Amino acid sequence: MAVYKVSYVVTGSSHPGGIVNLDDLPEVGEIIEVGNSELKVIEIFELIPPRGDFYYLHATCELVEDG
Amino acid sequence: MNLLELIRNVEIFRGLTDDELNEIVAISQSKQMKAGESLVEEGDIGEEFFLITEGSVEVIVGATLPTSRTVLHLGEGQLIGEMALIDLGRRSASVRAIADPTVVQVIHNKDFLDLCERNARVGFVVMRNMAADLSFKLRHLNLISGN
Repeated sequence: MAVYKVSYVVTGSSHPGGIVNLDDLPEVGEIIEVGNSELKVIEIFELIPPRGDFYYLHATCELVEDG
Repeated sequence: MNLLELIRNVEIFRGLTDDELNEIVAISQSKQMKAGESLVEEGDIGEEFFLITEGSVEVIVGATLPTSRTVLHLGEGQLIGEMALIDLGRRSASVRAIADPTVVQVIHNKDFLDLCERNARVGFVVMRNMAADLSFKLRHLNLISGN
């Protein structure tokens, strides 16, 4: 099973950003749930090359909702 | 999902056999927390590290100061407290649960280091993966500071 390890920053808010493992590859425009927050992905790129089933990504996001 | 299945999909254990993963399971203790509950306090001596298997946490620098700030959120599959395992230093930040529930696996440093002594391959594989995890966190912080 692939694991997508995503480093994310949240623009235009005080959200500190973070790191999370996702089961599916996030895509631009998609809303992802991270902790209590809903984030919209506005940019995504590979941070370092994959190793095995692990993919290392960086996403820039906008805050949709903060729980 | 049982713990063996959970940790099979965790990066720091990538490359271990099922027998070796079961040795990790044997030294892990599950801890469930409510949102707001503290896991680690900055400045404390770190005798264990943690793996988030459900929920998420916030990492806070200067938690007892008026200038305290949350610097990072960490979700499932992420490691907490590994710096103290590697450098034997005190906790560099405080960590609190932000999801309800948040579940972590607690692994005591001594139990883990004893396992590494008994099985050097486990030690090599996990330490290599842990170094890669720290590298990823540094890359993340570089991007945050440049944002």
